[in-house]
Amino acid sequence: MKESNFHSDEFEELIREKTEQYKMYPSENVWKAVHNALHTRRKWYMGTMAFLVTGILLFSGRELLFPGHSSRKLAASAASGDSFSADATRALQPQENDRSNFVRVRAAGSTAAGRRASSAGTGGMTAEEPDQSYNHLSITISHPVVSQPDLSDLLSHAVQLPGAAPSLIAVAAEMADPAPKTAEADQAGLSDGWSSRNAPANAAAHHAVDGPAARNGFEPLRDDAAIRGVLESLSARGRQSERAGATFRRAHQAQRGAVMADIQDAAGTAKATTEEAGEQSDASRVNWLHDYAVYSLAPNPSRGRWFLQLNLAPTINFRSLSGGSMASSKQGGGPMGTLRPGTGQNWVDQSPGLGVQFGGNVLYRATRNLTLKVGIQFDYSRYKMLAYTTAPQQQQQPSYRTPLGNFIYMDSLFGAQPVSVNGGPMVPNPVQATLYNDYFQLSAPVGFELRVLGNERLQFNIGATIQPSYLLNTNAYVVTADYTSYTKEPSAFRRWNLTGGVEAFLSYQTGSIRWQVGPEFHYQFLSTYNSGPYPISENLRGYGLKIGITKPLP
Amino acid sequence: MTEEAILQGCLKNVATAQRELYNRYSPKMLAVCYRFAHNREDAEDMLQEGFIKVFSQMHTFQNKGAFEGWIRRIIVHTCINNLKKNKRFNESLDIVHAHGIQIREESVPSIVQAKQIVECIRILPIGYRTVLNLYAIEGYSHKEIADMLDIEESTSRSQYTRAKQMLEDILVRKKILARPKEKAEWLAAVR
Repeated sequence: MKESNFHSDEFEELIREKTEQYKMYPSENVWKAVHNALHTRRKWYMGTMAFLVTGILLFSGRELLFPGHSSRKLAASAASGDSFSADATRALQPQENDRSNFVRVRAAGSTAAGRRASSAGTGGMTAEEPDQSYNHLSITISHPVVSQPDLSDLLSHAVQLPGAAPSLIAVAAEMADPAPKTAEADQAGLSDGWSSRNAPANAAAHHAVDGPAARNGFEPLRDDAAIRGVLESLSARGRQSERAGATFRRAHQAQRGAVMADIQDAAGTAKATTEEAGEQSDASRVNWLHDYAVYSLAPNPSRGRWFLQLNLAPTINFRSLSGGSMASSKQGGGPMGTLRPGTGQNWVDQSPGLGVQFGGNVLYRATRNLTLKVGIQFDYSRYKMLAYTTAPQQQQQPSYRTPLGNFIYMDSLFGAQPVSVNGGPMVPNPVQATLYNDYFQLSAPVGFELRVLGNERLQFNIGATIQPSYLLNTNAYVVTADYTSYTKEPSAFRRWNLTGGVEAFLSYQTGSIRWQVGPEFHYQFLSTYNSGPYPISENLRGYGLKIGITKPLP
Repeated sequence: MTEEAILQGCLKNVATAQRELYNRYSPKMLAVCYRFAHNREDAEDMLQEGFIKVFSQMHTFQNKGAFEGWIRRIIVHTCINNLKKNKRFNESLDIVHAHGIQIREESVPSIVQAKQIVECIRILPIGYRTVLNLYAIEGYSHKEIADMLDIEESTSRSQYTRAKQMLEDILVRKKILARPKEKAEWLAAVR
């Protein structure tokens, strides 16, 4: 390769020697580009994480701002028959050949007038209660997903007859009829058929539930005296709920038998199936819920105590340095001259940087004024440092070592070039450079909020959290133990840390959303660096303006 | 971290080992790129591309020679490939064309010698500069240079001779080098 015998004269030797001495230090962007090209998987990981976080935030935000969306989804899922609960939506098959029909009943309205029925398209019929003031129980009779026996069984378990059935007189008085009614009148009303008192909702429900029989010319259950007997029996026996329920069921079975006999007699050809009887029984239960569940089913005591909170806080971040010893080179000595003790906070030129925190918390309202919270939070913090590097033609390998061991050799921004904290004598012809330390942390704040002043609408609160945190990146600069240089050493960083935060904020309630804004302060209790041979401690702190929204959890 | 450990880490695609390797060799390699490139930005682009090749072709390195030399060859080839994409570079390899190029000597900064020499090399016409870099500094033969640049071997020789002469003149005029006394006298006599 080399034709040294051809051209190696003095001039060429000189050029070769001089050019070999020359070094240049690439900018950090070059390494970033190389690294990104080599580690595409990490890019995918970061992208996926960003996508997930964004998705969660968008979803949470939408749920907070448009709370009706979830209930619509619940209804939709109920229509597909995959949920059932005490507050749940429930599907019931009206008849085998009319699967699109469904009846949706929001049960237990406080007034009969609140219940109104509406049709749901050509193939279906919906009895929807527009009275939104009452929402303790919602039952949807919709497209069939479970078999009729299963459904009947579920209803018989889910709808427990009350220990003390409400007085029918009181029920009558609660009805929407503005005209005062006497007990006798109410009883008389009952004698006209129980669904006639229950306005269109029941009519619609009965139409759908009893529809098959009615359309076939059979007599519906609604006017039957046996049902009245059961209800009166329930009222009389008070707390005997199970027995009352059993009586109710027995009475229905008896009635069902009678109806079946009538059906067989009247129609001659009709078959009374157990499914039809079950439908009628379930319909009776649903209609019973219309009237009495409101009085007997107490609302969930934990309801209204759980909240979801999302928050965002632009922050200003700084750090405190302590430990280590400053080299006497500042006073003109050698790089490893006599060290003197003291804090390094003022020996470095650094300034705050902007960051951001965002996350979500689940809040539990323990008392009227005290709320406990736990959540997850992402924290990006940054600060900047002023440093000095050697002019390129003067660069040389640092020939000394510090108590940091290899650290000083490993600077990555300027290669092996020393990056001086203060441009001391080890850096001839210093060139100023600004270095940034970025920290990405995930934390799980646990804490409380205390209402100090205010009412339910406008409040002044204080709060505090303790946050176990995990450091995601370890590529920040580390100042050498003698406070002369910056370098990078990932192994020096402590991954797990503990941060404390305090905040004060004003909160304001609009509808179901509570808005809050206020200052916050956080401080990292443990040093950013591992304890051990590295003597310097760095504690991050930050000030922020926290903005948050809180919404009751369903 | 030893070179062997760095190599093993790079083969396993370990980021810290790659970073260590980059830290160790990027200053020298950027200087190499800078001598070929039009400006620093171009040099950094070449360096970036070169190091990506280094890491992705690490498995092809066989411990037969110096690792630095292997990296350097990749970097130089990357620089040449970049230059060959430039039409002006291809034109400048024309020896006749290169004669007419004016040198902007005023752009040479008056700082210490190593940087001065590099900057003087960089103000040579790009064809001269490339051949000079490859031959005098990187140690390629004229035959190899001819193959790399798709030119005749004789063209490489003549380009180098002229480049060397031009550089020497610049360095003398900048008082970075002193011309040998007898040569100066000879030149004066000739003129």
